[in-house]
Amino acid sequence: MGCSSSLPANNAGAVGNINNENSATDSKNLRVKLVLLGDSGVGKSCIVLRFVRGQFDPTSKVTVGASFLSQTLALEDSTTVKFEIWDTAGQERYAALAPLYYRGAGAAIVVYDITSPELFNKAQYWVKELQKHGSPDMIMALVGNKADLHDNRCVSSQDAKEYADRNSMFFIETSAKTADNINQLFEEIAKRLPRPAPS
Amino acid sequence: MDPNPSPHPTDSQPEPPEKRLAALSLRSAHLPPDFAPAEIQEDDDDEGYLTAASRGGSSSCAAAAWKDEVDGLDDDKDVDVGPPSPSSSGYAGERGSSLASSAGVDDPQPQPDDWARDKKHLDEDDASASWRKRKKHFFILSNSGKPIYSRYGDEHKLAGFSATLQAIISFVENSGDHIKFVRAGKHQIVFLVKGPIYLVCISCTQESYEGLRGQLELMYGQMLLILTKSINKCFEKNPKFDMASLLGGTDAVFLSLIHAFSWNPATFLHAYTCIPLAQSTRKAASAVLQDVADSGVLFALLMCEHKVISLVGAQKETLHPDDIFLLSNFILSSESFRTSESFSPICIPRYNPMAFLYAYVHFFDENTYLTLLTSSANAFYDLKDSRSRIQNVLLKANVLDEVQKSLRESALRIEDLPADPSSRSVSPPPQFSEDVNSQLLSSEMAIGGPAGLWHFIYKSIYLDQYVSSEFPLVISNPKQQKRLYKAYKKMYASMHDKTIGPHKTQFRRDEDYVLFCWITQDFELYAAFNPLADKMQAIKICNRVCQWIRDLENEIFVYGESTLSW
Ligand SMILES: Nc1nc2c(ncn2[C@@H]2O[C@H](COP(=O)(O)OP(=O)(O)OP(=O)(O)O)[C@@H](O)[C@H]2O)c(=O)[nH]1
Ligand SMILES: [Mg+2]
Repeated sequence: MGCSSSLPANNAGAVGNINNENSATDSKNLRVKLVLLGDSGVGKSCIVLRFVRGQFDPTSKVTVGASFLSQTLALEDSTTVKFEIWDTAGQERYAALAPLYYRGAGAAIVVYDITSPELFNKAQYWVKELQKHGSPDMIMALVGNKADLHDNRCVSSQDAKEYADRNSMFFIETSAKTADNINQLFEEIAKRLPRPAPS
Repeated sequence: MDPNPSPHPTDSQPEPPEKRLAALSLRSAHLPPDFAPAEIQEDDDDEGYLTAASRGGSSSCAAAAWKDEVDGLDDDKDVDVGPPSPSSSGYAGERGSSLASSAGVDDPQPQPDDWARDKKHLDEDDASASWRKRKKHFFILSNSGKPIYSRYGDEHKLAGFSATLQAIISFVENSGDHIKFVRAGKHQIVFLVKGPIYLVCISCTQESYEGLRGQLELMYGQMLLILTKSINKCFEKNPKFDMASLLGGTDAVFLSLIHAFSWNPATFLHAYTCIPLAQSTRKAASAVLQDVADSGVLFALLMCEHKVISLVGAQKETLHPDDIFLLSNFILSSESFRTSESFSPICIPRYNPMAFLYAYVHFFDENTYLTLLTSSANAFYDLKDSRSRIQNVLLKANVLDEVQKSLRESALRIEDLPADPSSRSVSPPPQFSEDVNSQLLSSEMAIGGPAGLWHFIYKSIYLDQYVSSEFPLVISNPKQQKRLYKAYKKMYASMHDKTIGPHKTQFRRDEDYVLFCWITQDFELYAAFNPLADKMQAIKICNRVCQWIRDLENEIFVYGESTLSW
């Protein structure tokens, strides 16, 4: 997978930005606010529910506003990362509200559907918005979802990867349906999180 | 009487400049696919199809006929239109008149919550026979004729039809008048103009004009709840603005709303209902909600399905019963709320139609949910904390279990109506001199409750709340229940008819029921008896019902909360 992020590896700003931060974030137990953005129907909620609950429900449940979920991931180096996840609504009427949810986020996942070129364009729109208004040290991932539908693929991995590289994001293709690369996605984000210096 | 008791002005005046830009995105370049209809599968049986014979009206033909008469048209004019024009390409045109799909007319009894099986039928448009045979259509369109919503069929394919509706409405508006309804054969076409937004219902369900207009008002309210009234701004900037995409993913909400028109009394009584609970249990819930409301939350509502457990407003803030209904309809029909806690912009139309509030929504179990409304966009983590505080109290006081128990057991059953015709009971309504020549029912003939009582709805005017009894066996299937509600709606409309009312009592007998309605300063009572019921007996029973309600009022109503409408 594309791991060519050029993000600064050592910056404590992002994690500490979580609203209402009250529990200690030590070097072993990280906590990060993560936001998912992307058009309606690309599979943001499915990705989150696969990661948090290990489930996939093929019936659409259009998100309203944004849903909040959290999940803790244990890494090999025995650190844990608690993700506080904002799964935002992709419907057009909520687009202007996105800052409410990505403000202060330490990581963002921009999702598109590999079977739809328009949705890839929409993903680029979100990337630009985050670059303009998100916190500068935010870790950003570009995710091509529905990889199980490769027969209908419209966006090549190559193009997406190149776009991600140019924008200092890491790129991965996932399937919420088969669970392919879902955990890897979050592990990859976790690894890139700035580690606060042990005190 | 206006079915909509709020004295709020209508929206025909120009909008005051809004203070707050609603958070609406106008980027229309990427219209999101609306995938909600894909999961909806089945037609609502009751309102599915007209018989071929009744396919009389045609809007385009109505429009034509009506144009001839337009000079004489005044505010209330009811235009009768002759036989349909076969050349019409509009609503009831003759093209493609195959009746092949009318088979499913009598689906076996869907359950009341089967609305989700209602199909939008995206393949249909105004040229489809099936589309034209639907009993009740709802449309929302813009004043430039752009489709915004259609109950059946794909909005985009209905552009021509929308333009026809727009032409009718604008024609009248331009002459400084308002079109209220058009009658075309068995069809009634009801219009509601809300600034740049037009709402239209075409129905052959024989509901009253007032009733249908009340339904359009609720549709408009539901739309405001999702988008706020500042949507009007978009039309000021661009009259051709395409609003449909802003309602993407909300089909289930409107579907559930339209379904509620035929089963939820809140939609015509403009009152809400509570879940019966012991006073102490409800007090525990109310106390902790009050606590939260005192610390920055505007409204805190705890509900089970569409029934209120407790609700509290900060200071003197009040929630209109229609807003409670629209809010719960929105939450219950948007499945994502059940998946996890959510934070979402929501407009409460009667509170402030111009601005969004933010709603924290959390489901404690399958049907019990908490909604905390705030004006602060950054309050999520505070509200999340409040929720866990509330949850602790509810668990400690066993509220959630009691609610589930009440849901299963505590319905008002007419068989439980106390036998004692209390001496304290109010005197029966006056002027019943007319002696109904009906058979006195022997008690074994009285199916259901005493003296043939089948069902009742009691609305407390002061509290804006209603209670209704459990349906008896004779009205056990949803179709029968819908029919009874329809009869109540008719009764409601005639009781509140300004021109011939207001009435205090009404007694009506038809082949299905004896209906009795009684309105005083304090309450409205609607009761249904078996068709052979004796009038004097029925009146006595109604007195007993009222006494019974008074005896139970501490458990079946919510008191002390500021919920009165203004
Ligand atoms: N084949 C396939 N389908 C998927 C996958 N992920 C999601 N879907 C389908 O895509 C549809 C939309 O998924 P959601 O997760 O609800 O989409 P969303 O991005 O959250 O949409 P909004 O909440 O409206 O913004 C659902 O019907 C899923 O069944 C996937 O990996 N493979
Ligand atoms: Mg979603």
